[in-house]
Amino acid sequence: MNEMLRNRLSKRTKKLIISTLRFIVFAALGYQLLYPLIYMLSMSLRAPADALDPSVIWIPKTFTLSNFTDALRVMDFWGAFKNSLFIGLGCGILDVLSCAFVAYGFARFKFPLSNVLFGLVILTLVIPVQTIILPMYADMKYFDGFGIMKLVSAVTGGPDSVSLVGSYTSFYLPSLLGLGLRSGLYIFIFRQFFKGMPVELEDAAYMDGAGPFKTFFRVMLPNAKNSIITVFLFSFVWHWNEYYLSNLLLGNLKKNFAIALSSLRVDLQSVVNVQTISDPLAVVTRIQAGALLAILPLFILYLLTQRYFTESIEHVGIK
Amino acid sequence: MIRRWKLVPYEKKKQVYGLMFVFPWILGFILFFLKPMIVSFKYAFQNLEMTPQGLKGAYVGLDNFKYALYKDPAFIREGVNSLVNMLYSVPLIIVYSLFVAVLLKNKFRGRGLMRAVSFLPVIIASGVLMQILKEDVFSQGMRGGVESVYLFSGGGLDGVLTELGFGQQLIGVFNNVISRIFDLTWRSGVQVLLFLAGLHTIPDYLYESSSLEGARKWEQFWKITLPMLTPMMLLNIVYTIIDTFTDYGNGVILMIYNAAFSQVRFGYSSAMAWMYCLAIAVFLGVVYLFLKKRIVYLQD
Repeated sequence: MNEMLRNRLSKRTKKLIISTLRFIVFAALGYQLLYPLIYMLSMSLRAPADALDPSVIWIPKTFTLSNFTDALRVMDFWGAFKNSLFIGLGCGILDVLSCAFVAYGFARFKFPLSNVLFGLVILTLVIPVQTIILPMYADMKYFDGFGIMKLVSAVTGGPDSVSLVGSYTSFYLPSLLGLGLRSGLYIFIFRQFFKGMPVELEDAAYMDGAGPFKTFFRVMLPNAKNSIITVFLFSFVWHWNEYYLSNLLLGNLKKNFAIALSSLRVDLQSVVNVQTISDPLAVVTRIQAGALLAILPLFILYLLTQRYFTESIEHVGIK
Repeated sequence: MIRRWKLVPYEKKKQVYGLMFVFPWILGFILFFLKPMIVSFKYAFQNLEMTPQGLKGAYVGLDNFKYALYKDPAFIREGVNSLVNMLYSVPLIIVYSLFVAVLLKNKFRGRGLMRAVSFLPVIIASGVLMQILKEDVFSQGMRGGVESVYLFSGGGLDGVLTELGFGQQLIGVFNNVISRIFDLTWRSGVQVLLFLAGLHTIPDYLYESSSLEGARKWEQFWKITLPMLTPMMLLNIVYTIIDTFTDYGNGVILMIYNAAFSQVRFGYSSAMAWMYCLAIAVFLGVVYLFLKKRIVYLQD
């Protein structure tokens, strides 16, 4: 009896120790991860005078929303929002469709050179965008669609190329063909997933007379919900944050958040100089406000989907 | 036509279907990868200049490559730096994210919140925003105006370790590891996510039957969890290596970008990019061959 009690007690203390340790680990982790966000929030609510005042810790002396209104105006928030949203949504959907389609081919079919081709998929991931960014720009600027437009123009006399720079098409087209931003990774993710699916499922579909394409769209894709959500979120977020490509392909006329953020310091300084004071430090709080505004849509999207998203991680496989 | 298609043997048919699935990618590969690559390869052997008529260049042979390898003091140094950096961070990131993923898998109070927080870096830690944060938050932390952002600053530990009689080199390594912890947590969002997804694909019956046989948690981790996670492990390792090599703050990447867009030396930039890519490709190939045999699929 006594021994049983002691046993139970030791089990309880063990549990307590484990949960305490876990709490400490997570508290440290949470602090590290939330620190920049809290910092941004704290900074953006301060009056410029408070920004470098060492006596101000976290809670500003004077609250102000003027940082946000300034940042909204200077960044052209809604224009940037529209561009980022169109690129993110379009590329996210196209990436999911094209990468799942291609990955299924790699996961389930053996054809000549399939291994070599998959090696090339990985290669596209490895090559930094900077290597091909210049020729790619030229391609987009004078896009002739595999020479089709040249042929047509030889017959009809129309223009032999179109400029895709400054239009969303220059982002959509590579995504549609499975070669967008980090598409190799998405193909990899889908391939790993499809490889892990039981073959019986497809055999059953084949027995019922479905072709490979029907099997893919009706059986495999609906089951890949988890991978689809993951890939979509990745693609959306990465396109939202991508700077080099957007800077080059969107041209000077259109801005998305990545470009707006990168030039925010300069933009703010020029505005501040004209209107109020020429103190460069006055910019600090407004930059934080701008950065916070730029990730706010991502943050809201994340808050809305995170429940579904974190839960979906658990429901993998077949139901 | 249709009748003839029906006579084609099943294996051949599967090959054709496979190619049909992959066809869009092949098209994209030629248009958006192979073609630019070839052009950039050509650039690497030229000294390109911006002239009023556009880009003009003449063939200069291996000059660009020779310049990078023998004359430019920064290229080799930055290359070795990023390799060493990668050797540090990949094992750390993998072990750390596996640890966090295992902690996050089981149910406890506040798990949803912790998960949401752990994946935050996936959203925030890329591109320009990270640059702004680094410039501002991190420099603020260093200045000491606000409390330090490094939870584990290596400063005080230095003395303690020397007192304990560790070698200078070992301390250097140790410090390096510690000062990277912040960086690490911010770069392992994707990895934690993928590992967590991987953990949930392991069927429960494996654990149930093994615990009936008397296996302890520790044994279950090494004999079930780890082998079953190997496909995810491969994905994570490949992803982490690439992410470290092509990071925005990576020295070589910055050199390549600056050579092209601020110094307008397109030829030199292409030559450097080509050498860097080849090095990464070879490294990844070795890693892949090494890991390939150790991967376990449930199907097999």
